Amino acid sequence: MPKCDVLVVGGGPAGMAAAVTASQLGLSVEMIEQRRTLGGAFFRQPIEGVRPIPQRASVKARWHKLSADMSRAPVRIHYGCVFLGVDSDGFVLFEDRQVGEVVRCAARAVIIATGAIEKVHPIPGWDRPGVSTAGGLQVMMKETGQAPKGRILLAGNGPLLIAAAAQMAMVGNPPVAIVESGDPMRPGLTGLGLLVAPYLLVEAFGFLRAVYGAGVPWLRGARIEGIEAHAQGLQATVVRRNGERSAFVVDRVGLHEGIRSNDMGLPAIADASTSSPIVIRAGDCSEPLGALAAEADGALAARKVAALLGHGQSRGGEQALLGRLRQAQAVLAKLFAPTIAPLDVPDHTTLCRCEGRTIGDLKNLVAGADLKSGREVKHNGRFSMGSCQGRFCAANTAELMTRLRPGAPPVVASDLTGQRWPLRPVSIAALVAATKVKAPVD
Amino acid sequence: MPSSVIVAGAGIVGAALAYFLSARGIRVELFDEEAPAAQASGAADGAVSVASKRPGAMMTTALAGIALYRKLARDGVFADLFKPRSTFLVAASDAECEVLEAHCAALSGAGVRVTKIDRATVAEKFRVLSPDVGMAAEVHDEGHAIGYQIVHGLLRASGIAVRRREKVQRILVSSDGTCVKGVATAKGEYTADAVIIASGLGSADLLGLSGTLIPRKGQLLVTERAPALNGRMPGAMMSCRYLLSKGSQKGRPAPARGLALVVDPLRTGQFLIGGTREDHGDRRTNDLDAVSKILADAVALIPGLVDVRLLRCFAGARTAVVDGLPIIGRVGSFGNLFVATGFEGDGICLGPVSAESVVAMVCGEKPALNLDPFTPSRFPKLRIAA
Ligand SMILES: Cc1cc2nc3c(=O)[nH]c(=O)nc-3n(C[C@H](O)[C@H](O)[C@H](O)COP(=O)(O)OP(=O)(O)OC[C@H]3O[C@@H](n4cnc5c(N)ncnc54)[C@H](O)[C@@H]3O)c2cc1C
Ligand SMILES: Cc1cc2nc3c(=O)[nH]c(=O)nc-3n(C[C@H](O)[C@H](O)[C@H](O)COP(=O)(O)OP(=O)(O)OC[C@H]3O[C@@H](n4cnc5c(N)ncnc54)[C@H](O)[C@@H]3O)c2cc1C
Repeated sequence: MPKCDVLVVGGGPAGMAAAVTASQLGLSVEMIEQRRTLGGAFFRQPIEGVRPIPQRASVKARWHKLSADMSRAPVRIHYGCVFLGVDSDGFVLFEDRQVGEVVRCAARAVIIATGAIEKVHPIPGWDRPGVSTAGGLQVMMKETGQAPKGRILLAGNGPLLIAAAAQMAMVGNPPVAIVESGDPMRPGLTGLGLLVAPYLLVEAFGFLRAVYGAGVPWLRGARIEGIEAHAQGLQATVVRRNGERSAFVVDRVGLHEGIRSNDMGLPAIADASTSSPIVIRAGDCSEPLGALAAEADGALAARKVAALLGHGQSRGGEQALLGRLRQAQAVLAKLFAPTIAPLDVPDHTTLCRCEGRTIGDLKNLVAGADLKSGREVKHNGRFSMGSCQGRFCAANTAELMTRLRPGAPPVVASDLTGQRWPLRPVSIAALVAATKVKAPVD
Repeated sequence: MPSSVIVAGAGIVGAALAYFLSARGIRVELFDEEAPAAQASGAADGAVSVASKRPGAMMTTALAGIALYRKLARDGVFADLFKPRSTFLVAASDAECEVLEAHCAALSGAGVRVTKIDRATVAEKFRVLSPDVGMAAEVHDEGHAIGYQIVHGLLRASGIAVRRREKVQRILVSSDGTCVKGVATAKGEYTADAVIIASGLGSADLLGLSGTLIPRKGQLLVTERAPALNGRMPGAMMSCRYLLSKGSQKGRPAPARGLALVVDPLRTGQFLIGGTREDHGDRRTNDLDAVSKILADAVALIPGLVDVRLLRCFAGARTAVVDGLPIIGRVGSFGNLFVATGFEGDGICLGPVSAESVVAMVCGEKPALNLDPFTPSRFPKLRIAA
């Protein structure tokens, strides 16, 4: 059984920075990563033998530094290992999918850096084959070095849509259009606030140039209403602010409504020096502020853990940087604030894909004067009960419940998902294999 | 007959009380410290079963409990919520076969339909089971129900709005001390013609029962859907070690942490796998040690489970009573205060039928069940806590 001061969960920028800093501060560190490579979502590495998609020099330089620091640090990395949670005996559990065994680790502290997931709003057809998240398409490009094939429509909200479109254009298959509910170019707005993070401006200009250069229409103040099957693929209906509708026939649709922490079911934060183990979160899984912030937050988390474990106080410049990036995110949010009201979503729209539950099912369940809790709705409507453990539907269900019951106490995603292991479905064979490992004696 | 009743606790017992009271046109105020099915009723296995009951009052009450489930399923209140199925008691070792023989005799004696199945027949007819199984017994006419769904169904049928997150802090006694007036919560005082305490472990504080009511933790597991394997399971598979751990065979001590295997094929195609009985604490958490041991037992009995994934584990605390029997009936000399709790690991089966009888009692009728063995008066300490 592995034993260490700090177990870092997730090998994205936050986890890598945390591992590097923690070992610099004299702590013994191990890391688990579910994939076979480090890098996370932002620095996703191409699979072997594939030429990476073009990247800005500054991004390349950051990755080189981070991976060099990481390879110098005496950190044992367990690849192909999925974090399952912390059990009631205080052991960190993970499924080693290469060996086929659930492993328990006695760590004094756990830094959870599992990143973010993309939000997708339920619209008719979001669950059709051919529809995915826009960031998912982007990450696939980074892995395969190739643009996704066919005619692609990107739709939703936020700067990631532009970034994904630009990268698709650079590798030779620009999307047919970008549908954006905000309007960052609307008069009266200046991007001046972005001067708090000049690199974002540089990045934005680069992306916009690529998108305009490829002639991709950027439909602002517009929303996608639904996606239907069509003889030539998928037909997406788009509604403009003035009520005008148009149809796009495409092969794929990439949806994206921003990102949120990938914190479904995670063990509670326990950051007292007496906690056993200490549990803290870092990077996007603590606050979704982007890759640069994730790196800073990872280092900060390591400093915090070192202090809690009695390895002394230390300071870097992370707090100040995080402050600036938080401000920059706030400016971006304002720039991209939707300028078109949400559309009505029909009751037959799927809300929970795993269990096949619709918006209408939720409405029926919460109708009336009896104000059910999130947990009751989960249990009796089966929302968040499926194999994705609520990753796709918990936040949408909570949001819709809150909207359907004005005046009632708001519901949050964790009311549905709870906090218990396993975070992911886990092989029974691997759990049975765990019985062969003797329980640790201290 | 009272025109209004206060019920403290919206577990399966409180929800069933609300249902039977509302059905008689009585106004119900139902309070829960958290929410319906927040405690044991939302963390139970859900065997509606006589198979593992101790002969005597528990066995007869369980039979009445099963009959009520069937009736409510027919009436529509439990439509789609009750899965009729047999329970198969499965014995591996010689010791287990011996316990099983004795238990079959007791069940038959109580009028339960039981069929013994020898080793060869098990091997031929139940291929999902391990070849190590020595014998089995099919207990017919049982079923399975999921506690939180039953609570939901009862509340929906009663049409009331539950007072959630409103803990009953005190029971209010009339100025002359002869009866109760109502209850007090943080939001104020409520009055009614009668009060029923169905607060599970929370009943201890209200009725001076600490030391009498004991939390007994249980851990349970749910798998992903595995329809093919599920379809080949003729019913719930219960290891005979369950009988030992549950102490339903008198004279054998139960260990501090017992593992008792039950594998129930659910309607969804999933499996519910239980469980532990633990005397230490009421934590609602799971440990790898217990989970992997339960699964090792499950795979030993049903080898096909090895290819399925575990989706969830959860834990709950049963409300056990020191003498092993629930506490149901009128409290002391107060004509209008009642209690129904202490169902330990049997409340899904026994809760609704007990509630039906308590409601009869509240309405001044003779209850259908013989509640004498469960009388609160066997605990002289039981009183309204100050
Ligand atoms: C699809 C997508 C696209 C994005 N595109 C951009 C972009 O273009 N520009 C930008 O600035 N930001 C982008 N972001 C945000 C950016 O990726 C993050 O800010 C940054 O990568 C966060 O770093 P992190 O270390 O917190 O998380 P991540 O980089 O997401 O790393 C998390 C790591 O944890 C691992 N992990 C997760 N769960 C488990 C588990 N249970 N067990 C084991 N390992 C686990 C994952 O495999 C991953 O390697 C994107 C985010 C997403 C989700
Ligand atoms: C792991 C496990 C497996 C089980 N398996 C089975 C089985 O297979 N078959 C079976 O028949 N039974 C089973 N049981 C037992 C069954 O779940 C319980 O006996 C039954 O749910 C008890 O119901 P209840 O209403 O008495 O108590 P609970 O469900 O505990 O409800 C009590 C309610 O009262 C509320 N409360 C407490 N104090 C107050 C207060 N002061 N004011 C207001 N509200 C309060 C609580 O929040 C709670 O909601 C199992 C139990 C467990 C834990």
